[in-house]
Amino acid sequence: MFKHLLPKATSRPLLRPASNTFRASPSTFYLVDRSQYRRGYATEAEEKDLVIIGGGVAGYVAAIKAGQAGLKVACIEKRGTLGGTCLNVGCIPSKSLLNNSHLYHQILHDTKNRGIDVEGVKLNLEQMMKAKDTSVAGLTKGVEFLFKKNNVEYIKGTGAFADEHTIAVNLIDGGETSVRGKNIIIATGSEATPFPGLNIDEKKVVTSTGAIAMTKVPKKMVVIGGGIIGLEMGSVWSRLGAEVTVVEFLGQIGGPGMDAEISKAIQKTLQKQGMKFKLNTKVMSGDDSGESVKIAVEAAKGGKEETLDADVVLVAIGRRPYTAGLGLENIGLETDNRGRLVIDQEYRTKLPHIRVIGDCTFGPMLAHKAEEEAVAAIEYITKNYGHVNYGAIPSVMYTHPEVAWVGQNEAELKEAGIKYKVGSFPFTANSRAKTNLDTEGMVKFLCDAETDRILGIHIMGPNAGEMIAEGTLALEYGASAEDVARTCHAHPTLAEAFKEAAMATYDKAVHY
Amino acid sequence: MSSIASTCRLTARLANSHLQRQAARRGFRAAAVNNAAQNFTMPALSPTMTEGKIASWKVKEGDSFSAGDVLLEIETDKAQMDVEAQDDGVMFKIFEQDSANTVQVGKRIAVLAEPGDDLSSLEVPAEESSASGGQPARKDRPTPQVETAGGIDTTESSPSASEAPPSSKPNADAAAGGAADTTPATQEKGGKSAGRAQKQKYPLYPSVQHLLHEKGLSKEDADKIPATGPGGRLLKGDVLAYLGRIAKDYPAEQSKRLEKLGHLDLSNIQINVPKKVDTAKPAEAAKPAPPVDVEIALPISLTAVIATQKRVQDTLGINLPLSTFIARASELANEELPLSKNHKPTADDLFNSVLGLDKVGAKTSRGNYMPQIIGFPEAPVAARRAPARKADIIDLLSSKPAAPKKASRVLGAANAAAPHNVFSVTAPKGDERRAQTYLERMKLVLEAEPGRLVL
Ligand SMILES: Cc1cc2nc3c(=O)[nH]c(=O)nc-3n(C[C@H](O)[C@H](O)[C@H](O)COP(=O)(O)OP(=O)(O)OC[C@H]3O[C@@H](n4cnc5c(N)ncnc54)[C@H](O)[C@@H]3O)c2cc1C
Repeated sequence: MFKHLLPKATSRPLLRPASNTFRASPSTFYLVDRSQYRRGYATEAEEKDLVIIGGGVAGYVAAIKAGQAGLKVACIEKRGTLGGTCLNVGCIPSKSLLNNSHLYHQILHDTKNRGIDVEGVKLNLEQMMKAKDTSVAGLTKGVEFLFKKNNVEYIKGTGAFADEHTIAVNLIDGGETSVRGKNIIIATGSEATPFPGLNIDEKKVVTSTGAIAMTKVPKKMVVIGGGIIGLEMGSVWSRLGAEVTVVEFLGQIGGPGMDAEISKAIQKTLQKQGMKFKLNTKVMSGDDSGESVKIAVEAAKGGKEETLDADVVLVAIGRRPYTAGLGLENIGLETDNRGRLVIDQEYRTKLPHIRVIGDCTFGPMLAHKAEEEAVAAIEYITKNYGHVNYGAIPSVMYTHPEVAWVGQNEAELKEAGIKYKVGSFPFTANSRAKTNLDTEGMVKFLCDAETDRILGIHIMGPNAGEMIAEGTLALEYGASAEDVARTCHAHPTLAEAFKEAAMATYDKAVHY
Repeated sequence: MSSIASTCRLTARLANSHLQRQAARRGFRAAAVNNAAQNFTMPALSPTMTEGKIASWKVKEGDSFSAGDVLLEIETDKAQMDVEAQDDGVMFKIFEQDSANTVQVGKRIAVLAEPGDDLSSLEVPAEESSASGGQPARKDRPTPQVETAGGIDTTESSPSASEAPPSSKPNADAAAGGAADTTPATQEKGGKSAGRAQKQKYPLYPSVQHLLHEKGLSKEDADKIPATGPGGRLLKGDVLAYLGRIAKDYPAEQSKRLEKLGHLDLSNIQINVPKKVDTAKPAEAAKPAPPVDVEIALPISLTAVIATQKRVQDTLGINLPLSTFIARASELANEELPLSKNHKPTADDLFNSVLGLDKVGAKTSRGNYMPQIIGFPEAPVAARRAPARKADIIDLLSSKPAAPKKASRVLGAANAAAPHNVFSVTAPKGDERRAQTYLERMKLVLEAEPGRLVL
């Protein structure tokens, strides 16, 4: 303790090279005295068992788990609220809008034939946004409560490495502090990848963050990137009345993991719902100087150019790890050519007491992946052993119908030279889907041709995101299609389609 | 238990190089458990017992048993006693059937296998009864725990019995190996197959149950089939391979492949080679067309500070370094600086502003400046060299002043009164006003009332 009271002449330059002027200034001797005359400091540089930078899913789950394991833990978050991208500007608000816009759309277009006459349906966008904000606020507050409950110290500010064990924090409420950690977890997440040449103002040119917070429904919207986020946000605004055009460089929508057959099917359905698609199309340039935004596109393989006009352009070409201002260079941590922090299988950087989890390192950028890693990372710290099965991480796209999958798709199996069987079952043949008048989609199993072991499950259909849990469990246990088929499923449920698809894979379906 | 058992086995088998290799292999815990059967000899159930009769075997060849199961009943001239298994295992071969014959203590009566051993490929170890005479049996087998009418015969409760936890072999393996449970493939480096037969403790999968039934195999048979599923679970493919319906090695290969998919692919990482441009430049500077940095400087007199320092030293006997004054002044001066012209709200700021969580509306923000200080008491203003003075941090560090190659602007040089120093900060173009405000505040605080900084 006492050593922190003295200026560390050797390692804490007060006079720094000019180029460093703006770097968060990590300085222990700074710290010391401030508490005597300034307000609101977290702690002095006492040493924690664990310091976590980033309060997103990865960071907050790790913090709670560490607290439960009895570690002295602090979590640094600069946003002002916990939950990171997921709770504040990602999964949660987008799902709120998806659900409510779906309800609106259904009430507008899909009630008469069900025997419900509704009149005077009007969109109150402001209220819809409020409903979203209420969900977000409730959940982020909930995490804060869990921090208290599990003795996690919550430091509101921006953290940067001062040295290998010390994080200097620029507090949101002004002032600085620093914390030392025996262990450190970096969980700083990701940000939207900008599109070169387009100036993101979150009004006319938006990322998903602007797209969940628009104050009026645009007439025309162009979505650059037909991945999950683009299709979800495109769906929301299309349902609310926008004319949405999705421009995708590749030949299929849904991103690389989605099975090609499913991708085609959902594209057809979304088209029916009113979305337009331009696949194999490259965005050449954009011009946002005028009232509207002009996007010049061209067939990917060269060819005719075209200009799209839009009130709002959503840039959804992917996300990239976010590590700016973290002071990685102060401790020599490396990133790869895509900005991902380099780790080993136990999430350790080359400084083994520093681990990295979530979006800012390798693997799919998914909240549940971040959560699994958080649990495993804490187990590595406390028990020396943790485990995440990256072969059984489900993906879900919350359009309507939803698309969900786990394991490998057909293209991947072909590439690996695996002989496989396909068994599928359409929801048109499922009694519950029929009664719900919601029959688009199918369940598709991919199993090893020899052993019948399930290698991948791909679902498009109502509630696919819930149904994929069963598939993930089956994969986790190395189950065969027969195992699923011989497990009783309730009638009438959508899940019966899941069972029948399994039957179709190893034997024959009953109802198709 | 198992570790001690294998150590014992090791000592008993030193003579036989073949077996020794196996023992070592098992000790290493990496390879499949084949060929690790062990002799089970007539136990001495009391210190005086030299021979006994096998009243009856309670297990048949091929039967699995768990620790605590009764293996056989032995009759001596004094009593009839149960012999319990000390560890989980499988009865491989019985050499002395139930009979009226008496058997010498130490003579082999059976061969036991480990749970999960593949009996079809298991070798019967050589009998080594006479090797060490006396009671050799006590070393090369899991010591049976004997229950007599009067309870446990304590003389025979060997070290292994009292020290080892009653855990089964596969579990002990998993615990010791850490990842063993979930990474059968990684254990198998160099091995042919990732599967090994083991006791199936969970309910069998529906497909497995069905197949076994169809083929007239029992639940016990399931324990003999090499299992390649997660955590050693028996899969449909394993049974198919066992039945010869698909290639024998296929399930293991498949498990190995899927096991690999279960891990992050960290091969071929291409390290980002930092470009010449300082990519680590903080957010404010990372704007389109990186603005040129400007150095802004202001002479500030430290007379008042030095006077205060002296006063504190004289009255309180505390030597406050200059750096303390400067750091605290900087802390204050950084507060609520006018926003940079380059400032653009981030996406998050905007989102937060929608949620009303923001401070985007604010016209100011906290700065991050740290002054460079050139020139010290008694040193001429212009002299940009290192004055070696008191052992203060500033002195130490200023011995290597960064020679700024930037446009230098010295503000209000007229005010410079000795002893004075030039305080400077470097700011991106567009931030001049911010930097100036900071420096002016520094000046005010340090020249006017430095005492308040430390009181
Ligand atoms: C529109 C959208 C929809 C999505 N929908 C889904 C979905 O349905 N399902 C799903 O699984 N995933 C979804 N995702 C992805 C999901 O949000 C991310 O995978 C997840 O948030 C990753 O968590 P994380 O903790 O790694 O990072 P983040 O959630 O990004 O959290 C990192 C946190 O660290 C903070 N931080 C960064 N640097 C510092 C620093 N130096 N000091 C202090 N704090 C710092 C940031 O402010 C941030 O709050 C969606 C993403 C978006 C954008």
